[in-house]
Amino acid sequence: MMRTMNRTDFLSGLVVAALGAAGLVEALRMPRFEARGADPFTVPGLTPGLLSAILCVLGVVLVLRGMSGRVLSESARPSITQWTRASAIRTLFTIVMVLLYGTLLFGRMPFFHATALFVFVFTVGAELIDTERRLPAWKLLIGGLLLACSAAYAIDFVFTDLFLVRLPG
Amino acid sequence: MDGLNHFLGAIAEIGFSAQIIVVFWATLLGITVGMIPGLTATLGVALVTTLTFTMEQNTAILVLICVYIGAIYGGGRTAILLNIPGTPANAASALEGFPLARKGRAGEAMAVATTGSFLGSVVGMVGLALVAPWLAEFALDFTSFEFFWLAVFGIVLCGQLTAMDDALKGWIAGFFGLLVAMVGQESIHAYARFSYGIRDLEGGFGLLPVLVGAFGCTEVFIVMRQEATRAVAGKVTGVFHSALSSFGHARTWLRSGFIGTFMGVVPGVGEDMGAWVSYAAAKRASKRKEEYGQGSTEGLLAAETGNNAAVPGALIPVLTLAIPGSAPAAVLLAAMIIHGLRPGPLIMITQADFFYSVVAMVFWASCAMLILGLLLTRPLLLILKVRREWLMGIIFVLCTVGAFAIAGRIFDVWVMIGFGLIGFLMREAGFPVAPMILGVVLGPILDNNLRRSLALTQGDPIPFVTRPISAVIATLVFLIIIFSLPPVRRRVASLRTRFMGGER
Repeated sequence: MMRTMNRTDFLSGLVVAALGAAGLVEALRMPRFEARGADPFTVPGLTPGLLSAILCVLGVVLVLRGMSGRVLSESARPSITQWTRASAIRTLFTIVMVLLYGTLLFGRMPFFHATALFVFVFTVGAELIDTERRLPAWKLLIGGLLLACSAAYAIDFVFTDLFLVRLPG
Repeated sequence: MDGLNHFLGAIAEIGFSAQIIVVFWATLLGITVGMIPGLTATLGVALVTTLTFTMEQNTAILVLICVYIGAIYGGGRTAILLNIPGTPANAASALEGFPLARKGRAGEAMAVATTGSFLGSVVGMVGLALVAPWLAEFALDFTSFEFFWLAVFGIVLCGQLTAMDDALKGWIAGFFGLLVAMVGQESIHAYARFSYGIRDLEGGFGLLPVLVGAFGCTEVFIVMRQEATRAVAGKVTGVFHSALSSFGHARTWLRSGFIGTFMGVVPGVGEDMGAWVSYAAAKRASKRKEEYGQGSTEGLLAAETGNNAAVPGALIPVLTLAIPGSAPAAVLLAAMIIHGLRPGPLIMITQADFFYSVVAMVFWASCAMLILGLLLTRPLLLILKVRREWLMGIIFVLCTVGAFAIAGRIFDVWVMIGFGLIGFLMREAGFPVAPMILGVVLGPILDNNLRRSLALTQGDPIPFVTRPISAVIATLVFLIIIFSLPPVRRRVASLRTRFMGGER
């Protein structure tokens, strides 16, 4: 039986090997503090260099295994290539929302407002892209609004007032 | 005898004070976290850690241990009723629990899971009380050479056991974690590695933001990526009768308890393997093998006993070596350090009282889990009706706040999201996340002890393999690597087939 290349292993092996190689180069560039009379076996680049070299070798082995097309067992088969349209949309939506909240909203506006806005848009958006949704739009909007406000208030209250954590904004 | 007195004193201290209320609410919180698909025990312990900052140190650790034990148990409910494990540790339970629920025996399955979890915790607690003092005393002989090998051993074994038959990917994840730990200022020359003048990077990546990202944020992506699941509807009957009858399977729960405790002790392996190995051992020893996969109460009992026994087991290396036995135990270790506790070989000398308090905490959390699990069987089912679309946004907010609250830095939020994306890609590409986290924890131990040892020997590597304890650990590392190689595994399998008459 002819084996086809295992692209997931091949590409992830390339990434790992490149990461290892880059780490090794950076480790070699680290100072050795000869002027301070430092022990050569305590230099900062020693451990990162060794780890990067090992990572590079393991990455190359994975590349070679990917090229051979061998999968060790069905339980080890990666799922990254198995997408349905619905799961791709849900995943993309989640990543975009998470990035928006973490980089644009959190810390740049009051916590309550940022969180209520995020929870509302996330909940309503996730429901709207769900093809099996049974809830009518008006119920969804009211429910989402109630959930967003109560969740934002509860989290703010618990962390700020009960556990004395200072939240941004 | 002295230890027993300490233990009984700690039991009374918790049992006859307001801390008993803490035990019940924290265990209930843990069960709830474990029951919600997508919320793992690691995430639960990490998020609750941020809530314990202002608590007194013993109360804080009590809360975290209760959440940890409750969450591992709670995940079994989801496995039984939804056929998806509430936490990865309950995957084996789904194999037997869900078929039981589909046959209308959900109540019986939940009772068996409850009793099994309780018995597992108790066996693990006995293991913790007996093994940890001995291991701590033994570890007093460890020097930098042994600690270096211990870190390597943890990564190699964890990578091998958690990678679903693909040790190479487990090792890559582990060494990647070790490399991540190299970012920031090192301890000998105070040089900021891989920082490029970025001040936030000079402090390195915080363990909790990385953990919350790799387990919590990743889980949000994974849950949203998967198809929705529905709980099996059915009557919940026969709970107490089934719970009592489970005590009768002494061989199964004792065997699973021992296996689970041992798997917990192994660095970075923890509850998942505790459940799977216990389940496999129960199946091998069973007289009713044909029931496995069709709804075997014996298999379910083994899996649930194994995963909960791994919890006290995972605390053994945390307390005695400051090396986590599992991912949630890694968070617990970080929490102990945050609260000013110093786990390690000296624990029995400097903090013996605290050690026996931890054993008592495990005892009370197990009792609370049994009581709540049996009494609240029906009300707890309501948690499974929450739709993921209404939950995941809030979970991500909690991850964000959890990552931020530790140091009050927005940078930690970005680290959390970054490791969430990395964890998601890793899991999708078939790489386990647990070895990476273990690598982040063990990185400083490996780095410091390697350089310290080499400085002591003037670069001579021979003592790494000639000192007795080092030699033993190094040999184990070597054997794990050799027996993970596919040609060797194939050869061993063919030899086994030949000598055991085809039985595998």
